Amino acid sequence: MSNKPFLGLRPCTWVYITLVSLTFVTFYIGEKEIGGLSIALFVLGIAMIKGHLVGAYFMGLGGLRGLWRWPVSVWLIVPGSLITTAFILSS
Amino acid sequence: MTQAVEAIKLHDTNRYPPGDLAIWIFILAELSVFAAFFGAYAFTRMNNVALFNEFQHHLDRESALINTLALITSSYFVVRAVAAIKENHHQLCFRWLIAAMGMGAVFLVVKVGEYAHHFGQGINLSTNTFYMFYLSLTIFHFMHVIMGMVILSAVALKARRGGYSAAEHTGVETGASYWHMVDLVWLILFPLVYVMR
Repeated sequence: MSNKPFLGLRPCTWVYITLVSLTFVTFYIGEKEIGGLSIALFVLGIAMIKGHLVGAYFMGLGGLRGLWRWPVSVWLIVPGSLITTAFILSS
Repeated sequence: MTQAVEAIKLHDTNRYPPGDLAIWIFILAELSVFAAFFGAYAFTRMNNVALFNEFQHHLDRESALINTLALITSSYFVVRAVAAIKENHHQLCFRWLIAAMGMGAVFLVVKVGEYAHHFGQGINLSTNTFYMFYLSLTIFHFMHVIMGMVILSAVALKARRGGYSAAEHTGVETGASYWHMVDLVWLILFPLVYVMR
């Protein structure tokens, strides 16, 4: 089970830079104490993108074919939907 | 004929995730538990919005930022470790794994500092609903970071002894997959508990 498709070091380095940048965006929004449904969902959207990048590039699932390409993406949708529903209902 | 066999092998390796398949079953089970935890947090908050917003304000967001950067950086170092062993550089793989564990240690130290602050103020699981979720969620994740460090240590020691190669490095990929899962969970936990209001 070695020699899995590796999406390359350079793309992973760009993903790392993107993850760090998006983390600072999230932190900035937190520091500004900005509330509200749209901001909360925007922050959640950033988290979903970050999770997808980790799954596809760092975990290497993006280069797979078939069912194993999707578990992280599906997992992100589950808590993402629950959190979205709860925040919409509480707004 | 040989080309056809190689093509079949490549097709087969493209169908399964890196590392031991058993770790992926374990990862999916762990992710399911965290998904339930996140859902429970969000729906409990629904009936306690003011309480959650008030006590979220008392959390140390700068520590959470440092911890997020530490875990992301650590995950990236693990990616470098996997890339190194694929090039047959087992000593380089070992060094990247040590660097990854160093970042993991930063996470643990910062988190212990946060807990010391909270416990010093007399905050515990029964203080209120928000702290019950905050402490149980983050401590549960904290234990996964420790578990990940133990796994990475075992992989690093074997890598140092030359136990992995470009041809066989399933153990490195297995440890890496678990560590990325720990990072992945924190990427949702951080905005949910520290930022979203």
